[in-house]
Amino acid sequence: MPEVKSMFREVLPKQGQLSMEDVPTMVLCKPKLLPLKSVTLEKLEKMQQETQELVRQQEMALREQMHQEQPG
Amino acid sequence: INMDPLFLAWSYFRRRKFQLCADVCSKILEENPFDQDAENTSLASEAAWSLKTRALTETVYIDEVDVDHEGIAEMLDENAIAQVARPGTSLKLPGTSQGGGPTPSVRPMTHAGRPVTGFVRPSTQSGRPGTMEQAIKTPRTGHTARPVTSASGRYVRLGTASMLTSPEGPFLNMSRLNLSKYAQMPNLSKSLFEYIFHNENDIKNATDLAALATEHAQFKDWWWKVQLGKCYYRLGLHREAEKQFKSALSQQEMVDAFLYLAKVYQRLDQPLTALNLFKQGLDRFPGEVTLLTGIARIHEEMNNIASATEYYKEVLKQDNTHVEAIACIGSNHFYTDQPEIALRFYRNRRLLQMGVYNCQLYNNLGLCCFYAQQYDMTLTSFERALSLVANDEELADVWYNLGHVAVGIGDLNLAYQCFKLALANNNDHAEAYNNLAVLELRKGRVEQAKAFLQTASSLAPHMYEPHFNFAALSDKV
Repeated sequence: MPEVKSMFREVLPKQGQLSMEDVPTMVLCKPKLLPLKSVTLEKLEKMQQETQELVRQQEMALREQMHQEQPG
Repeated sequence: INMDPLFLAWSYFRRRKFQLCADVCSKILEENPFDQDAENTSLASEAAWSLKTRALTETVYIDEVDVDHEGIAEMLDENAIAQVARPGTSLKLPGTSQGGGPTPSVRPMTHAGRPVTGFVRPSTQSGRPGTMEQAIKTPRTGHTARPVTSASGRYVRLGTASMLTSPEGPFLNMSRLNLSKYAQMPNLSKSLFEYIFHNENDIKNATDLAALATEHAQFKDWWWKVQLGKCYYRLGLHREAEKQFKSALSQQEMVDAFLYLAKVYQRLDQPLTALNLFKQGLDRFPGEVTLLTGIARIHEEMNNIASATEYYKEVLKQDNTHVEAIACIGSNHFYTDQPEIALRFYRNRRLLQMGVYNCQLYNNLGLCCFYAQQYDMTLTSFERALSLVANDEELADVWYNLGHVAVGIGDLNLAYQCFKLALANNNDHAEAYNNLAVLELRKGRVEQAKAFLQTASSLAPHMYEPHFNFAALSDKV
C-alpha cells in the first residue's frame, strides 16, 4: 500500500550519538523442573510413611485402651 | 493334603510375599525352636530360621550403594588435607563451573548452590551444603533438614520399624547372640549378617560378625571383605573400608566392590580417584551401566554438565530405559534453551513403561510443552500433575510452575493467585516470594514487594534474584 508507505517513513539517524538507557528490570525466579526420584528413594519414603502410620495406629490403640481403663 | 510348611515358606519367599513367609517360618520355629547351642537341632528348623532372617531382611532391604546420608557430624572431616582444594579436584567447591553449563540466571540452584539436577537419590537429597555454617542454617526449612549424624538419620528409624510389628518383641535378641559361633557356620552367617545390617541396623555387632567370619574364612572370601568394608564405611572409618574393598577387588573383581570403593573416595572428597577407579572398572566390565552412571554423577556434582551429559548418553546407549539418564539429559536440554528436545525425553514412552507415573513427570511435561509452544498439552499435563501430588511441597512446586505459565500468557491475576497458592502450601517457597514481589511491584505496592523480597532472601540466601531485585528496587526509590 503506497499511501501507508508515505505516512510512515523509517527514520535512520545518519549522524550524531545514539544513546540507550539501561533500566534495571526485575527478574523472576526461573521455572523449576522437578527432579524424578530414584527407586531407592521412593522405597525409603514408602517404608518411612508406613512405619509412621503404624506407630500412629499403635499410639491410638494405646490411648483408647487407657480411656477404657480409666472409667472402669 | 497340607503342603510342607517349609516348602510353602520357600514358595512365599520366591513370590516376594515376605511377611507371609516370615509368619510361616515363625510357626515352624514355634514347634521346634532353633537353638544354636544345642547339638540336636533339626535341619528344618535351621533352614526356617535362616529363611526368616532373609525374608525379614528383604522387607526393609535398600540398595546400600545408593544410600548415603551425610550428617552434620560427618562434616567435621578429619581426613581433609587442605582447607581449600585446588579447582577441579573437589566436590565441595560448587562455584567452579568448567563444563560450560548454564549460569544460575538460567538454571535454578539448590540450597547447596549447585544447579538443580533432573534426578534425586538419597545422597543428593540433603544437598550437601558446603560449609558448616550453611549446614546448620538450612534445617530451618523442614524438608531439607540434615540429621546430626548419619547414625541418627533414617537408618535407625527404619531399623526399629521391624520391632514395632511383632508384639512378642524382636525376632533376634542381639545381646544374646553368640556371634563367634554363628561366624563358623557359613550357611547361616551370611543371612544373619544381612539381617543385623539391614533390619537391626546394629553396625557394631555386624562389624564383629563380619570380622569373625572373614577370619574363619581365612581371609579368602571376598564377600565378607565387602561386607566388612560396608560396616567400616557406616562407622566412618573410611581408610579401613578402602583397605577391605581393595583387598576384595584383588581377590575377585565385582561391580559392587568398585561402586563401594568409589563411594568411599567420594566421601573422602577425591572425585578424581573415584573417576579413575570407575574407568578401571569399565575396562573390566565394558559398558556396565552402574559404572557409567557413577562417572556421570561425579561430573555432574563437579558442575561439569557437558561431560556429565556425554556419559549419560553413553548410559542410554547401553540401557535405554535408564530413568536417571533420561531425566538428567532432559533437564539439561530444558535449561539450555531447548525445551522441545527436553519434551522428547520426558514424553518418552519408556519412562511411563518403567512405572514413572507421578506428579514430577507431568509437571515437567507441562513446563516443556509450554516452552516448546505446544499449548494444547500444557494445562492437561499440569492438571494431571495436580491430581498426582503426594505432599504439600510438591503441590507448591506445581502451583509455582503454573504461575510461570500464567506470567507467560500475560494473565497476571492468575499468576498472582498461583504464587499465593504455592505459598499457602509451602510457606518456605522462596522463589514464589520473589516472583510475588515482582508482581506486587508492578501494581505499585513497594512496601509489600520489599517485605516479600526480604523474606525470599532470608529463606534462600543462595539465590541471586531476591538480592538483585532488592537492589534494583532500592535504586529506583
